[in-house]
Amino acid sequence: MGTIDQGTGPVTASADATKDSGAFATRYMSGSRWNPFRHKVNVNVSPLQAGLVLGFSAALVQAYFKVIPPVAYGICMVCHPRDLVNWLADHLLKIEWDYSLASSSWPLLTVVGVLLGAMVAARQHGELRPQPSRQRWFYFVNGFLMMNFGLILGSCPIRIVLLTAYGDLLGVVGCGCVILGVVMGTIALRWSARRSIARGVSA
Amino acid sequence: MTAALATLVLGFVIGYLGQRSRLCFVAGYRDLFLIRDASLLKGVIGAFLGALAGFILFKFLGGRIVGFPMLLKTPELDSVSAWLITIVGGLGVGFVGALAGGCPFRMHVLAAEGKRTYWFYLLGFYLGLIFYNLVTFHILERITSLD
Repeated sequence: MGTIDQGTGPVTASADATKDSGAFATRYMSGSRWNPFRHKVNVNVSPLQAGLVLGFSAALVQAYFKVIPPVAYGICMVCHPRDLVNWLADHLLKIEWDYSLASSSWPLLTVVGVLLGAMVAARQHGELRPQPSRQRWFYFVNGFLMMNFGLILGSCPIRIVLLTAYGDLLGVVGCGCVILGVVMGTIALRWSARRSIARGVSA
Repeated sequence: MTAALATLVLGFVIGYLGQRSRLCFVAGYRDLFLIRDASLLKGVIGAFLGALAGFILFKFLGGRIVGFPMLLKTPELDSVSAWLITIVGGLGVGFVGALAGGCPFRMHVLAAEGKRTYWFYLLGFYLGLIFYNLVTFHILERITSLD
């Protein structure tokens, strides 16, 4: 069906063109299916595909692009921001804060890349729109605690999976603890939701 | 310089894919436990398998995959403080991640979409880093020196 449509499209267009070049221009410059500037991009990726690319490329940057030591450091959304901020503090303000050996000469820019990539993807798909905030302080405190617990653990939930794949036994224990923590957090959320529902009913 | 550019490009790619796929390393476990939905967990399993395949392949090809597979050669395996720190940190990351509804990666992606709620998360995140440098880091040093 699709091939028939594609075949007939240009023929009618060229027939139009012989009658009126203006119509030809309108047809080909604005409405056409294959015009890359008018066509809205639609990339659909499943979590499995995204995860496979993420894991494989994390191994790639460690193997050939010097994102080492420490090992399994290709992606970390806690340690790489730490390296970036502490490197800047060290080089601009002369404050001696700790950062990893991988970012001794130049800082790791994963966070900048993630923000840019997500912004471009959202822009292309019409999902980039400002939305008002809710529960500001709750999220503020969550971010604060996440950074501290993440740096105590020495990795974020992504890197702990990479460490597990690397065969690090402490990484395996850490990954198990993260899963256990998520279960505990989910139970806490469920408990607080039930309590607020009960309170709402009684009031 | 190489590492900085490589991580910038890699960050762009995973940021793009993460926005399209809603990939999250905390919501994967949470969805399985809460609503028995394994679609996001497949992303975590995919990352594990992709990383494992990459490490094996690049080790074979002669890339810088030092000491893989670690297993019993893992450093600090006999240190009590390392175990303590790992357990406390892991439970904390999981708990806080479940409360916030996502891992730091997902939060950065949501913030980049323009959702202001997550701008406050990131504000707390980076102020938390300064707090870590000033306070938590020194407490950790004390604990590790006890070994």
